[in-house]
Amino acid sequence: MQHFNPDRCQTLSMNDAELVAQILNGNMKSFTFLVSRYQKLVVHITGRLIQRREELEDVSQEVFLKVYQNLGKYRNECKLSTWIATIAYNTSINYLRKFKKNDETGLDDKAILDKLTDFKQDDYETIDLHRYIREQIELLPVHYRTVLTLYHLEEFSYQEIEQITGMPEGTVKNYLFRAKALLKEKLQFVVNESSLKLVKEINNEK
Amino acid sequence: MKNEELDYIIEESFRTEPDIRLPADFARKLTLSVTRREQWKTDVREYLYLTAVLISLLAVATLTYYLIDKDIVIRFFSFITQNAVTVVFIVFILNFILFADRVLLRLLFNRWKRAS
Repeated sequence: MQHFNPDRCQTLSMNDAELVAQILNGNMKSFTFLVSRYQKLVVHITGRLIQRREELEDVSQEVFLKVYQNLGKYRNECKLSTWIATIAYNTSINYLRKFKKNDETGLDDKAILDKLTDFKQDDYETIDLHRYIREQIELLPVHYRTVLTLYHLEEFSYQEIEQITGMPEGTVKNYLFRAKALLKEKLQFVVNESSLKLVKEINNEK
Repeated sequence: MKNEELDYIIEESFRTEPDIRLPADFARKLTLSVTRREQWKTDVREYLYLTAVLISLLAVATLTYYLIDKDIVIRFFSFITQNAVTVVFIVFILNFILFADRVLLRLLFNRWKRAS
C-alpha cells in the first residue's frame, strides 16, 4: 500500500514559477523535484552533444549546479525548460571546446555523407531502419545533433532553439532540412525495390 | 516503400529517445551535494564574519592603547580579571544565544516547515 505524502502531492502540482520561488526560499525538496523534472532534457542535450557516457553524469551535475547558482537571475521571460536547455547547451559546447572536439563545424555535405555508414542489412525491417537512423544521428556533426534533439525530441520551437543555441532561425531550419536530406540520401535505395535487390545481390556476393 | 513512409520513419527515429539515462538516485545525490556545498559556503562566511568582528575589536583596543589612552585599555583588562565570574557568565549567556540562533531555532523552523 502506498502512503499518502502531502509534500510530494504539493510538489507535483507545482508549476515552474512556484518551483523556482520555493527553491529560492531554501526548499531543497523542490530542487530535487526540479532536477527530476528536467534531468531527461539535460541528459538528452548533454548526451547527444558530448557523446561520452562516462562524462555524462559529471556534465549533467555541472549543468544543475549552474542552474541552482543562477536561479536568482532567472526571470520569467522564457520558459524554465528553455533556460535550463540553454545552460545545458552552453556547458556541453564549452566541454567540447575544452577537449577540442568541435572541429566538425566546417564539414560539407559530402564529408558528412562519408562519415555516415552504409545500411548493411540484407533485408530491411522498420525496426532495423530505426536503429540505423539513430546510429547515424550520432555520427552527424554537433550542430545537426543539437537542432535534431531540440526540435524533434524536446519539441522546442524554432524561436526557442534560436534562444538556446544563438543560431539564427534560418540556420536551424537549414540544419534540420539537411540532416533529414542526408539520411534520406543514405536510405534512398529503400524507396526503390530494384535498388534494394541490387544491394541484396552485392551483399550476397560478398 | 514509398517516399512518404521513409520520411515518416526518419521523423519517428528523430523523436525516439536515445538510450542514455542518469542513475535513478541522481536528483537525490545532486541535492545532497548542493546542500553540503551551500552549507560549507555559509559556514565559511559566518566564520569570516566572526573573525572580522574579533579583528575589529582587537584593532580598536590596539588603536586606543597606542593613540588615545593606554589607561583605558589597562583598566578594561583589569576590570575583566577582577570580575571574572560575571564575565564568564555573560560569555556563557552570549554563547547560549548563539547556539539557540544557529542550532535550536533552525531545527524548530525546519520541523515547523515540514509540519505545515
